[in-house]
Amino acid sequence: MAYPPEQIEELKGYCTKLSALPEGGVTFLYMEGLRLPAGCNPSACDALLCPVAKDGYPSRLYLSVQVASRYPRNWNGSTRIGERNWFAFSWMVNLSEPTLTQLLIAHLNGFAKEK
Amino acid sequence: METEKNVEVEIDIFEFAGRGEEVPHATTYRVRIDGETVKVDTPHPTGELLLSKVGKRPCAFELIEEFVHHDNDVVEPNEEVNLRKHGLKGFITAHKEIVTIFINGDPYSIERGKRTVAQILSKVNQTPEGYILMEEKGGPPLPLPPDVPVEICGCEIFHSQAQSGGSS
Repeated sequence: MAYPPEQIEELKGYCTKLSALPEGGVTFLYMEGLRLPAGCNPSACDALLCPVAKDGYPSRLYLSVQVASRYPRNWNGSTRIGERNWFAFSWMVNLSEPTLTQLLIAHLNGFAKEK
Repeated sequence: METEKNVEVEIDIFEFAGRGEEVPHATTYRVRIDGETVKVDTPHPTGELLLSKVGKRPCAFELIEEFVHHDNDVVEPNEEVNLRKHGLKGFITAHKEIVTIFINGDPYSIERGKRTVAQILSKVNQTPEGYILMEEKGGPPLPLPPDVPVEICGCEIFHSQAQSGGSS
């Protein structure tokens, strides 16, 4: 699946390197060094943004580590993609036709919002 | 009448003010701002340009003219200053109490200091219940926790986006 080039460009500002990682019929957006909101430990890590439905969620953000943040999160999405282990917390994003950046922000907001 | 021949190359307005002399035309003016000497290539710089010479912006700071007779005048950002004005010895800057922040590209006035996310979002008629507030701080806009005060110094850049996520 191809994503709009202008949305890809905007997303690049959030990480040190962005590339596509196709696997299992899904094109994940592989974000190296994704910057995380203030209060997160680490402050950056690698991530996979899955803009399409997966594992019962409309979209998902997988992270290379279980990030510590202000609020405890329910890390329920351990998986292996691209020969690497990834972690995701239970966070449901329901946005109508979001841009990739809007989607990423909605997932990152899981570190800044209690519920 | 002054000709190109008698135009000074570089002059220090502080020295002329101290001697009570008229400041001649020059190609470059040495100006003191907060005690720091900067060079200005025009006799009529704007307040914003002078602030930028010391790395400051009108969204957080104001510029004040200082005269030898101890009068001080605030210079607006778009106001042109006459560097050849008699008695002008330099400038000082002061942190504004009411500063300007930018939300979704538009400027808004707000009191300096710690402000809640709700106070900031209220500038654009939004609430933390309905919107995520993001700050652009040395990188891309990232979400701010709604229950942690934000330190406002002026010139901060914010964005907002509709709330859309929740723990499932």
